[in-house]
Amino acid sequence: MSSLLEARGVVKSFPGVKALRGVDLRLGAGEVLAVLGENGAGKSTLMKALAGVQAADGGEFLMNGDPVRVDTVRGAMAAGIALIHQELNMAGNLDVAANIFLGREFRKFGLVDDERMRREAVTYLKMVGLDVDPAVEVGTLPIGKQQLVEIAKALSVDAKVLIMDEPTSSLSQTEAEQLFVVVKDLVSRGVSIIYISHRLSEIVQIADRVTVLRDGENAGELAGDEITHGKMVQLMVGRDVDRFYQRTQHELGEVALEVKELRTTAYPEHAASFQVARGEVVGVAGLVGAGRTEMLEAMFGVMPALGGEVWVQGEKATIGAPREAIAAGLALVPEDRKTQGAILDMAVLENASLASLKRDARKGAFLNREAEEALAEKGIKDLSIRTPDAAQLVRYLSGGNQQKVVLAKWLAMKPKVLLLDEPTRGIDVGAKQEIYGLIEELAKQGMAILFVSSEMEEVMGLSDRVLVMHEGEVAGELKRGGITEEQIMSLATGGVSQELKV
Amino acid sequence: MKKILGILITLVAVYVLTAMVGDNFLSAYNQEKLLERTALFGILSIGVAFVIITGGIDLSIGSVVCLTGCGLPWLMVKHEWPPAIAVPMVLVVAALIGLSHGLLITKLNLQPFVVTLCGLLIYRGLTRGFTEDQTQGFGGEFSGLRAVANEKISLTAEFGIPWTWVILVVIAVMAWIFLNKTIYGRYLRALGNNEDAARFSGVNTDRMIILAYVFSSMLAGLGGMLFVMNVGSAQPSNFGNFYELYAIAAAVLGGCSLRGGEGTILGVVIGAAVMRVLYNMINLVTWIPTHIEFAVVGAVILVAVISDELVKRAAARRRVRG
Amino acid sequence: MKIGTRLILGLLLAAFALSGCGEKGPEKKKYGVVTTGVASFWDICKTGAEHAGAELDVEVEVLFPNDGVEQKSKMEDMLSRGVDGIAAAVIDPVNQSEFFDEVADRVEFITMDTDAPDSKRKVYIGVDNYDAGRMCGQLVKEALPDGGKVVMFIGRLEQDNSKRRRQGVIDELLDRSHDSSRFDVPGEVQKGDKYTVLATLTDEFDRAKGKANAEDMLTKHPDVGCFVGLFAYNPPLILEALKQAKKLNVVKVVGFDEEGPTLQGIIDGTVHGTVVQNPYEYGYQSVKVLHALATGADAEIPENKFINIPARQIRKDNVETFWADLNKKLIGE
Repeated sequence: MSSLLEARGVVKSFPGVKALRGVDLRLGAGEVLAVLGENGAGKSTLMKALAGVQAADGGEFLMNGDPVRVDTVRGAMAAGIALIHQELNMAGNLDVAANIFLGREFRKFGLVDDERMRREAVTYLKMVGLDVDPAVEVGTLPIGKQQLVEIAKALSVDAKVLIMDEPTSSLSQTEAEQLFVVVKDLVSRGVSIIYISHRLSEIVQIADRVTVLRDGENAGELAGDEITHGKMVQLMVGRDVDRFYQRTQHELGEVALEVKELRTTAYPEHAASFQVARGEVVGVAGLVGAGRTEMLEAMFGVMPALGGEVWVQGEKATIGAPREAIAAGLALVPEDRKTQGAILDMAVLENASLASLKRDARKGAFLNREAEEALAEKGIKDLSIRTPDAAQLVRYLSGGNQQKVVLAKWLAMKPKVLLLDEPTRGIDVGAKQEIYGLIEELAKQGMAILFVSSEMEEVMGLSDRVLVMHEGEVAGELKRGGITEEQIMSLATGGVSQELKV
Repeated sequence: MKKILGILITLVAVYVLTAMVGDNFLSAYNQEKLLERTALFGILSIGVAFVIITGGIDLSIGSVVCLTGCGLPWLMVKHEWPPAIAVPMVLVVAALIGLSHGLLITKLNLQPFVVTLCGLLIYRGLTRGFTEDQTQGFGGEFSGLRAVANEKISLTAEFGIPWTWVILVVIAVMAWIFLNKTIYGRYLRALGNNEDAARFSGVNTDRMIILAYVFSSMLAGLGGMLFVMNVGSAQPSNFGNFYELYAIAAAVLGGCSLRGGEGTILGVVIGAAVMRVLYNMINLVTWIPTHIEFAVVGAVILVAVISDELVKRAAARRRVRG
Repeated sequence: MKIGTRLILGLLLAAFALSGCGEKGPEKKKYGVVTTGVASFWDICKTGAEHAGAELDVEVEVLFPNDGVEQKSKMEDMLSRGVDGIAAAVIDPVNQSEFFDEVADRVEFITMDTDAPDSKRKVYIGVDNYDAGRMCGQLVKEALPDGGKVVMFIGRLEQDNSKRRRQGVIDELLDRSHDSSRFDVPGEVQKGDKYTVLATLTDEFDRAKGKANAEDMLTKHPDVGCFVGLFAYNPPLILEALKQAKKLNVVKVVGFDEEGPTLQGIIDGTVHGTVVQNPYEYGYQSVKVLHALATGADAEIPENKFINIPARQIRKDNVETFWADLNKKLIGE
């Protein structure tokens, strides 16, 4: 197959990080190419470079063998490359036609010609099999349809290459199936697709070829029958999966955390109930928007719960604010490290002691500097935080080390239950493995651990038990050993698993 | 030290420049007066610095100065309250004002700008109301109490330390200890940097924010009383007009970021000093027309803030490379 | 809809009728007196206006706006409420004239205390500030018989009375001819045979600044002979500054208007004297003239449209009688 788009030796650096270290990519006409990699492997950076959102520092880009400049969105569009963003990039208050032609409006006597735009929009909407009135406001459509509008928009600029970044992350199963039909139809019209997803089963289903990135470099390629779950994971992780997620069997203790009929603002009419035992690691899977973060935040008193109870080691906890949750023995590593977890412009020391200051490091109202330093040093040592010293501002640490500082803050509190929300998002593979090791170690010491993750591998590899959430409810529980991605997906999208609660 | 370097250089530069071109700038009398004025405005600036460190703003300071500055002689002269009751009473009122700001901002989630802007209007209006818009003064009485604001501790025949300066130093030291040596100061800076992270760490952020507004209003109240004791009388319609802006400018000059989290007390005091030296310079240097003073003050603040930002960027760049 | 409209109309008519019922006989005439700010000076003016109102059996409303913008809106509100005549003290004679003409087209309009000579005002009641300034200059000459350096302090200089008052002092000290149209730029030093006027400092009504101005002038000119405070609150601030600098009686003080500390200073000997206007008469005469104009009686307006209420010099010999009389007027007796 002759290549339609080719990228050679793409390089991109950010302050302190080499995100791409000379990546190659080849895409044939009418091909679906899946690009895979762990978080931080460089796939998003590569896609942004291809679509001109964030120009690469170096590398060659060829379209049909001719060099093209893709350092601006306009340039990439002219070359026929369009990016469908992970977070939808639509103006929700404008109608479908206006969104499709945004920035390229048809005009009549200098005024916007709405009528003609709506007429023309229908052509592109048909291509993606979308039957909506082009005069309808985009914001009123369900997410799946909004995404199809965005694809229609890309087609309207005559895109030859469509980059789809995690297109199914917020879609229901049915919506996702519809999308696959559209993808296949587009391919048959000669459009090429670069497809990024964490859901390996999808990739098995629709990809013609897979290229895997790891730490900013090409890690390997798979085509046709080679595309299997195991091989993909092996390439992504770069080692044997079972060794990556090292878990040892140990006895579970009594129930440490019990959540009864917890309802949150995300799905006021649905309630979640579950238990976590001492020494148990429980993963929470589900689609984006399934109410997982809201559940953790309600348990931790960040946002008020609409109803329900939280029991910690047999005692009912009244939780109206995080400080009450902390007093009850909970700790939360929040989803967004930079805005909720760490205080970037304060020192490692000040971050590490923030939660335990009141209990462990004061003399009356005054700071107990020695106790604080001891506490920070212990955190740095125990979690092997890589920092010149405890006075370093957290801002200047790598993502993984920032996350470790947040963990150190909580471990100093010796919580009974540790809640983690996407604990490894955006950190490198090495730090990830360290955090997995730490979770295992804490579980061994008897801590109860509940973690939310959107990385299938992580959930399956790390958990003793997996809770799958769907619209604010626990749709099913899966025990370690033989959990499959299909089971999780089916539960997460509202389907019923046959292997419930073995 | 690094953080206040920029403002310290500005102070020294303005000071040396004025000493060179101004008449009698270095006279003992003028130095005393500069200390006195820096103290009066510095007290307001330290107050607002607490609020700015939390990422908020307090626009009501000038009106609180008016309320307390008119209120004190009103209570003492018109209603014949003894100073030992009137002074604490005024401070309590100021504290209640701060408390109400803090409650509205934290519990109702109103924006600090809006709450304190309304305060700016309300307290001036109230003062004009209860004083019936009449000038309030001590009428030559209470020289004992007023000595706190207009007498000095003589060191030589010529020079002495104004009592207001002593008050400022005491307040500044207490504020510095609070911010740097107590867990509550740590909490205040933490929440100013990242309120969510502080709250997630179990800090009672609401209580700390309320405390900051109480400090701000109480120091404005103290400042207002000292101002009127120093000047002798106060007119409700314009006493303390724009003082919130002088206070905020001094705090910003002193390194407080309006985004919150940052600020040193020493820097704020130096910031207040820079402002006062500038005004003094405009009067003492013959060739500066006095009516362009706002332009001079504004330009110097802008230059100081720009150079501070450039220094910070250069430091950050070195850091990334290193 | 139709029924609704009719209902509202009906209600409005009823309200109209009811409001009429409350009135007994012909309405009292209403006059507004508008000042330029808040000061005890204007309270005395208010007393005078109210006394005239009581004598004539008319309603009088006195307003105290802080600046030109507020003055305009308050006068507009007054017009909307209904008024038969307005007497206003002018803040900015040039730029306010257009608005004053609008007022004069609708009701009887006169100026008092400060004038807007180019407007359609019927008459100006007040002092000639230039003359008052020269009287102030005479006091300085008495205080410094051998000559010396003088600094003046004033709230703001844009208004006509400030300019003329200040010019009067300078012209008297420099023994110039009587010409009220002269204007010396504030930044320049005016040097005469015996007296040198070093500067005129403004404070925009910020008292801390007014005091700081006096202090800075003590620093800059240690040999200054006399401070002149041209707005009512300036002499007390000068006294505060001198007291702390221990320079009372060293630097002579001449004032304007009659704040308590100024009068007390005259009694104590720390202030040589002050020039007082007669705000009581401004208020009293304003209402009388407005009423004569509105009722068509003879308002006795002179040819030059200026009713002069002369200023007076207060020194140690007459201060106590003056103060006693003032206190009576202040409490509205």
